Amino acid sequence: MERNMESLVQVKGLSVGFRVFEGLLRVLDGISLRIGQGERVGLVGETGCGKTTTVKSILKVLPQPPAVIFGGEVLFRGKDVLRMGRRAVHQLRRSSVAAIFQDPLQALNPVFTVGTQLSDIVRDWAAGTGKRLSKKEIFRRCVEALAQTGMPDPERIMTCYPIQLSGGMRQRVCIAEALVRPVELLLADEPTTNLDVTIQDQILRKLDELVEEKGMSILLITHSLGVVMDLTERVYIMYAGTIVEEGKTEELFTNPKHPYTQGLLKSIPKLTGEGISQGIPGRIPNYLHPPSGCRFHPRCEHVMPICTQQKPPLTESEGVACHLYRGDVR
Amino acid sequence: MKDVVLEVVDLKKYFPTKRGTVKAVDGVSFTVQAGETLGLVGESGSGKTTTAHCIIGLYPPTSGELRFKGQDISRGFERRPLSLRREIRIVFQDPGSSLNPKRHVAQILSVPLKVHRIVGRGERLSKVRELLEMVELPPDDYLYKTPRALGGGEMQMVAIARALATSPSLVVLDEPTSALDVSVQAKIISLLLRLQSELGLTYLFITHDLSLMRNVASRVAIMYLGKLAEIAPTLKFFRSPLHPYTKMLLSSVPVVSPEERALKPEKVVSRGEIPSPVNVPPGCSFHLRCPEKGEACSQLDPTLQEIEEDHFVRCLQFQGPP
Ligand SMILES: Nc1ncnc2c1ncn2[C@@H]1O[C@H](COP(=O)(O)OP(=O)(O)OP(=O)(O)O)[C@@H](O)[C@H]1O
Ligand SMILES: Nc1ncnc2c1ncn2[C@@H]1O[C@H](COP(=O)(O)OP(=O)(O)OP(=O)(O)O)[C@@H](O)[C@H]1O
Ligand code: SF4
Ligand SMILES: [Mg+2]
Ligand SMILES: [Mg+2]
Repeated sequence: MERNMESLVQVKGLSVGFRVFEGLLRVLDGISLRIGQGERVGLVGETGCGKTTTVKSILKVLPQPPAVIFGGEVLFRGKDVLRMGRRAVHQLRRSSVAAIFQDPLQALNPVFTVGTQLSDIVRDWAAGTGKRLSKKEIFRRCVEALAQTGMPDPERIMTCYPIQLSGGMRQRVCIAEALVRPVELLLADEPTTNLDVTIQDQILRKLDELVEEKGMSILLITHSLGVVMDLTERVYIMYAGTIVEEGKTEELFTNPKHPYTQGLLKSIPKLTGEGISQGIPGRIPNYLHPPSGCRFHPRCEHVMPICTQQKPPLTESEGVACHLYRGDVR
Repeated sequence: MKDVVLEVVDLKKYFPTKRGTVKAVDGVSFTVQAGETLGLVGESGSGKTTTAHCIIGLYPPTSGELRFKGQDISRGFERRPLSLRREIRIVFQDPGSSLNPKRHVAQILSVPLKVHRIVGRGERLSKVRELLEMVELPPDDYLYKTPRALGGGEMQMVAIARALATSPSLVVLDEPTSALDVSVQAKIISLLLRLQSELGLTYLFITHDLSLMRNVASRVAIMYLGKLAEIAPTLKFFRSPLHPYTKMLLSSVPVVSPEERALKPEKVVSRGEIPSPVNVPPGCSFHLRCPEKGEACSQLDPTLQEIEEDHFVRCLQFQGPP
């Protein structure tokens, strides 16, 4: 299983906010993460913690304004995406990075058929690599991509408009858009939430195959911790715009360290039928005035005086950002 | 015999399209009993939402019967009496698009109060406050927020409050938590369970999450390509699943702990062509993907059979000779 873990993507100290009527939302607070070549990485965290914002930053598709990038860098093969010109970014998106966005209705254009949207992507990719593809070849690739997502009757779906498809079918169209051309990095934001588990499984196996055979890297965002366990080898846990824990997926899930991660794992409904937990008390903070020190401190049952004053760093050795694990301060 | 709240008899809903007729729901029958939670699980595109939309009267069924507390309600929404629309409510999957972004919470929650004449104008605000308290959102903090300013979980709580504004007896929950993370989901589900026991609500709960159903449903129904494949009380369903599609589903549930892994049936890999609802294959609609199919499966279409008490399966393996 050891792969060449040369970094494909390195996010360093990224801070992003949104300017809104009421003021400035300080969302991402200096996050750092790394995706190795051929690595499957998970990103997990509460609704509104900034996962989609992270993905959009990597792709440089955050509209500015309202977004404001305060600092940090997003290195793709060592080059800073945030400082790339428009043409370089376009080249990156059409031939190296694909994304599956969370909201299929927003990602799909309602006035074009599925076939038109898919073939545009293939044509653009081909143009980027200097290939010339016949109409027939483009059609074949689109149908194949749809079939790979377990879509019934792909040829008929090519002629459909998004509105004529069920939620899960739209989601599969988005997945097909990402898989219709080869890429080095797949950013998958909740790719399988609307799908039943057999189709989900089929798609996860397909992604596995692309990693094993083509050396593709994946950043997977999902609320299903079971899917993270299944697909990824390493995972980042995010809370309110900060990375609070990082580690090998299986180890981290069996032995969570951060109080937030522990609460998260307790919230999962289990197949063993132990009933439903109450979730983590409290709510994600307001980004206009995020809590001082550790952003989790207002909800934490272990909170200590230092937690309100100092932001705990993510330690290299423990992979957790929490004062409980810093022998020197306790 | 428990009180039956909803009876669905041979429900069909076809959509004519340019490329042929989509048989979205094709002969579905089940009952929902007072105070229970019936989990409706199935492949995406299998017709769960369409079934729900027929039940709430968004459009009329192509054929079949819907009976609510004994009364026939199969007609379309426009003709549904207000009293009925008050009794059956729905919570949609995506609260972001089902709540009007230009209105604040107080206005959103006033709409059903107005339409259904629940309280007079003077008492509206206090009723809205009551509803917010019911879903554990402090009214003073939330009354004048717009959906944009709310988190996904809070939006869903507002949507639940809106559904409950008319004191319904049946609430259809169409994937109410699939867009939310597990800790927010836990909060919403415990809220729904508390409200169910306090208000005596009956739920039809649509979801893809079998682990969740294990913990909340009293019975589970599995849908495949417009038809029911299996329906059973929750414990029986998880202990002795019978339909090959159910087994495939259960074996694909992603889990995090070894204890859960031990409960899953042996891995059944999904393969084979997934048929389209426009062109349903002859015989059992699952036969193209079925690991247990026999010779007759590509010719004979099985019907739902009661194998043991309350446990129904639609598979030729459990059907005597015709
Ligand atoms: N365009 C925007 N304008 C203002 N605020 C925004 C904008 N986009 C995101 N935000 C805010 O940034 C925060 C993080 O949002 P983001 O979508 O990244 O969260 P997420 O982790 O992807 O959540 P979810 O699990 O619900 O998808 C939220 O509080 C959100 O309200
Ligand atoms: N208005 C419509 N016109 C044409 N076909 C439709 C329409 N609405 C639904 N369908 C089709 O009916 C079938 C069932 O759709 P439905 O939305 O009920 O599925 P579902 O089980 O809720 O799926 P999901 O889990 O993806 O939400 C699908 O094949 C869909 O394409
Ligand atoms: S740093 Fe403090 S407040 Fe934050 S999680 Fe750890 S113990 Fe809790
Ligand atoms: Mg998101
Ligand atoms: Mg649906």
